[in-house]
Amino acid sequence: MANEIKVDPQMLAEFIKLNKNILEAPNLAKSLDEVDLEVTPYEVVYSEGKIRLLHFNSLVQRQLKTPLVIAYALVNRFHILDIHPKKSWVKHLLNQGIDVYLIDWGTPTQINRHEGFDDYVNGYMDNCVDFVRKETLSDAVSLQGYCTGGTLSTVYSALYPKKVKNLTLTAPVIDGRRDSTVVSNLAKHMDVDKLVDTVGNMPPELMYYVFSILKPFEQGFEKYLNFFKNIHDQEYVENFIRVEKWVSDTPPIPGELYRQWIKDIYQENLLINNKMYVGGRQVSLKNISMPLLTQVAVGDHLVSPECSMPIHYAVSSEDKTLKIYPTGHVGMIASSFSQKKVLPEFAKWLGERSEK
Amino acid sequence: MSIPPDFKKSLANYKHNSLFWTDLLYLMSNRQQSLAATGPFRKFAINAKTLSTETIEINEDMAEFNTRLSGYYKQLSDTWNEAQKEYARKVPELPNDVEHMEASKRIWIDIFENYFTRLFDSAEFAENFGKLVSSELEIAKHWNNMASTLLESANMPTKKDMDEVYKELHSLRKRVAKLEKIANKGGTSNGQ
Repeated sequence: MANEIKVDPQMLAEFIKLNKNILEAPNLAKSLDEVDLEVTPYEVVYSEGKIRLLHFNSLVQRQLKTPLVIAYALVNRFHILDIHPKKSWVKHLLNQGIDVYLIDWGTPTQINRHEGFDDYVNGYMDNCVDFVRKETLSDAVSLQGYCTGGTLSTVYSALYPKKVKNLTLTAPVIDGRRDSTVVSNLAKHMDVDKLVDTVGNMPPELMYYVFSILKPFEQGFEKYLNFFKNIHDQEYVENFIRVEKWVSDTPPIPGELYRQWIKDIYQENLLINNKMYVGGRQVSLKNISMPLLTQVAVGDHLVSPECSMPIHYAVSSEDKTLKIYPTGHVGMIASSFSQKKVLPEFAKWLGERSEK
Repeated sequence: MSIPPDFKKSLANYKHNSLFWTDLLYLMSNRQQSLAATGPFRKFAINAKTLSTETIEINEDMAEFNTRLSGYYKQLSDTWNEAQKEYARKVPELPNDVEHMEASKRIWIDIFENYFTRLFDSAEFAENFGKLVSSELEIAKHWNNMASTLLESANMPTKKDMDEVYKELHSLRKRVAKLEKIANKGGTSNGQ
């Protein structure tokens, strides 16, 4: 019997178990449509066009007078900052007595295709910040920018330094030339003029494509295998579905904003060289003199640390801190590690520099 | 990875011939057309040439698109083959048990992840991908032009018309916001 195939009975049992799990999966997991990503209650306190300013309800007595305004990224939606009660960035800050506002950029349509950095920074962001300043009777706010929201926050702080008391940047996109990620590689070779002139807004399909080439075997194969293996772990399954729903929902980016983004940040690298113009005004990073906290992750494959870190050296702030964490882009804001390490340090840093 | 010159030449020939006869037939039948066709149909008849030009040009861009797409798939399949070879070298034969299967899965993922990440990081991949998207957009442009021609003939707003409206709205919104700020005495006209 030279051709006899020997199979380990344990392996066969594992295989049968996996198949059983796959069959049982629909009864144990919700579909994406059945999941509501809203976790921490908030009120919409200001809206303009498609954008909304959210004010999260306090969970404890406020400890800091200076409010925090979070400018979320333009890719995907803000829910990742509040994805699960145990991993919520927002909830953790509320529990520290911080007054949290968040800008939700909404879903741009073709009517928004001509909106650019000028509209986002000098318009939406400035109006949101002014609203919060007025509402809280504060001269200046603490501003946190995540990912591409970090770039917007950087530009805003350079143009309106008096309105920003503290600036915190989490994985911001700053120095496109140094960015060593696949995202940057594709961005550098893109004919963005043709894209925007032809289709208007940056289509979400392009963003899905970029996601699919980031760790395609881990994310496209192993992740789902693990999902079926862990189908009886309710918490794992719930978290998985929530994150999947978040990943699969990315809005378009307004055409002119996308054009300037790709050209000024990735292709011509104008921001870090103080040569970028927004609404006719030159963006000089030297104008950023308020306390600055920069958070980067060594395992970030969307915005490499080399792309974010130059902001630490480019500003004129005397009080500046650079934190490097052994995690990834999302791990920095929505993980157990984030709750144990990143957030406590963030809240402490903010607490020491805010009005009480 | 570009279109062969012979193919380009024959395509250009075809394009010229086709346009020549479309032009000539259009000119020859113009009088009769004017008599027979009225209103939107007259416009449609005039637009026939635009539609045939766009169709020919779509074919030309399809050739470029196909070339880029083949290049794209070649890059993917070459990388797959190289990764598979590496995997075969590293994992020659393992016993069929759970422990070894888990280990070999990990090695497989790591090897494939490394090879593909190297590909996606390369300038060659990004360059071809950029051109692939670009050729896709060229096709989309022709499609838009054809749709616009048909919409025009039916006296309906085209993409260009709508875009002008969006531009105008955008500019008006900015002006209103500026005036509001001045009226509220919240700042100067430059928004500060």
